[in-house]
Amino acid sequence: MPNYTARDILDNPLNTLRLQGYVGKILRIKLTEQTTEIVSTYDYVPKYLGGRELCNKIFWDEVPAGTDCFDPGNKLIYMTGATTATGVPTGGRTEMTGIAANNLPTQYSFSGIGGWIGAEFKFAGYDGIIIEGKAPEHTYVVIDDDKVEFKSADELWGLKVHDTQKALIDMHGVDFKCMVIGPAGEHLVRNASITTSNDNVMAKSGFGAVFGSKNLKAIICRGTGVVPVADVKKVLELRLEMGSPFMRPSPVQPQDRQGLPGSDAKGEWVRGNISCSYGCNQHCNCLMMGTNSVFTDEKINHVEKCVSPFAYGFVTDVPNNMAANWMTKQNHMQPCKLLSREFPAPDPTDPYFEEINKPILPDVFDFWKPDFEKGNLINELCNEYGIDKWDMIIWILPWFAMGQKEGVFDDMDLGMPVDVESSEFVSAIIEQMVYRSSEMGNLLAEGMARATRALGKEKFADTIYHGRRSQMLPGSPQVDLPISMETAWGHSFHWQGRGFEASISKPTWLATTIELMTSSRDMQTIEHHHDQYEKYLEIVADPYNSQVLVDSIIMNEQKGEMKDSVTCCDWQSPDLWWTSMEAEMYAAATGYPMTEQELAQSADRSKLLYRAILIRNFNRDRDMEVGAVWPGICIPDSWGEVADWDGFNKLVDRYYETRGWDKATSWPYRETWEKYGLGDIADEMEQIGKLPLRP
Amino acid sequence: MEEIKTGFGNHVVQYSAEYSFCAGCNSCEAICGLVHDAVVSPSYSRLFVKRGGTRDMVCHIVSCQHCLDHPCYESCPKQGEAMCIDENGIVYVDEEACIGCGKCVSACKFDPPRINMAKGEKKKFWKAKKCDLCRTRPEGPACVEYCPVRCLGLDTAAQGDVKDPEVTEKLVLNTSVGGVDFA
Ligand code: SF4
Ligand code: SF4
Ligand code: SF4
Repeated sequence: MPNYTARDILDNPLNTLRLQGYVGKILRIKLTEQTTEIVSTYDYVPKYLGGRELCNKIFWDEVPAGTDCFDPGNKLIYMTGATTATGVPTGGRTEMTGIAANNLPTQYSFSGIGGWIGAEFKFAGYDGIIIEGKAPEHTYVVIDDDKVEFKSADELWGLKVHDTQKALIDMHGVDFKCMVIGPAGEHLVRNASITTSNDNVMAKSGFGAVFGSKNLKAIICRGTGVVPVADVKKVLELRLEMGSPFMRPSPVQPQDRQGLPGSDAKGEWVRGNISCSYGCNQHCNCLMMGTNSVFTDEKINHVEKCVSPFAYGFVTDVPNNMAANWMTKQNHMQPCKLLSREFPAPDPTDPYFEEINKPILPDVFDFWKPDFEKGNLINELCNEYGIDKWDMIIWILPWFAMGQKEGVFDDMDLGMPVDVESSEFVSAIIEQMVYRSSEMGNLLAEGMARATRALGKEKFADTIYHGRRSQMLPGSPQVDLPISMETAWGHSFHWQGRGFEASISKPTWLATTIELMTSSRDMQTIEHHHDQYEKYLEIVADPYNSQVLVDSIIMNEQKGEMKDSVTCCDWQSPDLWWTSMEAEMYAAATGYPMTEQELAQSADRSKLLYRAILIRNFNRDRDMEVGAVWPGICIPDSWGEVADWDGFNKLVDRYYETRGWDKATSWPYRETWEKYGLGDIADEMEQIGKLPLRP
Repeated sequence: MEEIKTGFGNHVVQYSAEYSFCAGCNSCEAICGLVHDAVVSPSYSRLFVKRGGTRDMVCHIVSCQHCLDHPCYESCPKQGEAMCIDENGIVYVDEEACIGCGKCVSACKFDPPRINMAKGEKKKFWKAKKCDLCRTRPEGPACVEYCPVRCLGLDTAAQGDVKDPEVTEKLVLNTSVGGVDFA
């Protein structure tokens, strides 16, 4: 039975701390056996907060080294946070982890998603689910409160994302929320996404392909129970304070263009600002209404955010300013305010006002000209086939654009001319990738990093694109960029000083590079680097030897783990002048008196669990980490500057030392594991010879 | 839908998309459950976010219209104890006395009915959850106060005048912007 009243949860004998916010159970879905089991959430919380920290703990406990992404032994662990469906703003964000299909080398990774299904799981009585094994045939899982059924997905297999969602609603009713894969996931395309309502996806780790490998087309859920909330008054306060000033009315607005200035395409549509997830207090997603569709003559609506505008035209990169990363008390705002166009009034009395607001001009790329209908087509194909828009818009299509201009495809026969300006080419190549129906499509389905290696890295990745021009240096000089766009772990650049979103200062790209280094995927979706401008001024003269920079990196990493575990949104956290915000959110939901320091400790524990998995299961060490990020920062930034080997290594030394990790190997010392209550991991590391002694 | 004989009292309305477009966040539902019962649950909210289809994604809010002839109240076997009317004419539920028979739900003139049913402390009893306009909150309706985009309001103008149940809601919804129909 679901929890029909708060008392059901408080009187649960396993809930010895009488925690609210959580609902008490984790559902283990055993696809091979077609059975389920219940795991008690209270076996883990509050030590392992929920969200990603709890995923990390379960994965560490349950998945041994030697397991690969498409093995039935890979587990996808999906967790809500204690704040999910409690009215705490942005708590609707949820997390999935597992061995990812879309990184290189294959490693444990994670992906976040909004939507309404996380809340629905909690209403059904589950804080999360563990998906394991492999279904004997195409399957979808129906969770209706405490009833779970495994159903044949034969009728659904092959359907596109929205058709799958519609079929499920037609069969089961509108009250069911779903997570589904499209044809890309079915064909094990490595950047396949899992989609829930409002075109919300988990895309970065390619878990859609892992669903496909498990013969799992969809999970749907309906819940009628309750999530009890400890401190309603505080939740209401948080709703007013978080992301303040409170938003204005948000009328629908007819638009005549789409895309970033300089790359924008003319076209008619209607904009509605919408939220991405249950209980959010913002509306940073854009519902594009009344656009043409590739698949139907009727006008359609689709939800776009972040990278989608570049589908409409990609002439220049993203303009920036210092304030986006380094803010002052007088002038700071949450990024969600930017996307939803709810900017608070700037304060020009700020002594740093001019410095932090001075435009950092974007690089010019000239990848493709503005074209509204082609932009709609790219976004719709990604939404419908269930593929990562990031990979398509920021990586695969730019690679074709650069490679075409540099002539690398000249002696190749793709059965059609390579031409990213042509809708026919774009739609054909996406389709070939999704259905693996041509040699090139099949290669791209393995992800860009693998594809360029298979084709020949020297020519198909390292060839220099001569078209990138800096606007930050006089005369717009050429700043060479390899056509690969690849940074570490089989992902593409993201706010790293080169490639996409390149225009950031050197201290910032050093920070984002270290953040990427200890991860297994692009971290900029959860750790957009933020800190106080005064700190930047301390760092900038000598960033390689700056403890302030290292502390700033660790603070951003802590916030990243926190956001994914509490849970809350990267676009609203951190607030640098309200550092206890996340702890207050957690305490309001659960009633557990979490302090800022305890929460930071928990975030570090989450990072250590992640590290433990990377070290034990995927042989992570210093050489691997530095080797992964180093080639990227040898490419010039917008000012023509590259990283210095000795300087960078000094920064890495300082980072590892501050973390309590051995400099030579990057492995944590026993005292570090034990400080966070992870002595059992230290023992296991000792057994496998990965527990360094302090020199 | 049957005709409502006597019009509507003050009630929560969704404004036109030209004024403010519902962000679909479900905060109003969550807040309603929180201020009344300190829980968030689809069974406890007294207004409902009807999510658009998977392709449409436009949300509509449906809420109790506070019919002046209050068929829900009339149908209650514990009238005056479970379903009550306060000094301002607001029909509300005293859950202590509610026996969970669901007659009010069947009597509601609207489709879907604007009364929710949740299981009570003693599992065999259901309890009716009906909008009481947050009558005990000095600040007034919580859903209106906390809607982040202020697309909800308390309609005090139409009372007594409008008889067609379709009209009270469509008053604020029949709008078309840029060729997209929000009705
Ligand atoms: S519950 Fe239904 S019948 Fe009763 S006042 Fe509300 S809308 Fe009218
Ligand atoms: S006015 Fe109060 S009782 Fe009515 S729907 Fe809004 S929050 Fe709920
Ligand atoms: S709180 Fe406002 S924006 Fe959010 S679902 Fe309710 S009416 Fe829509």
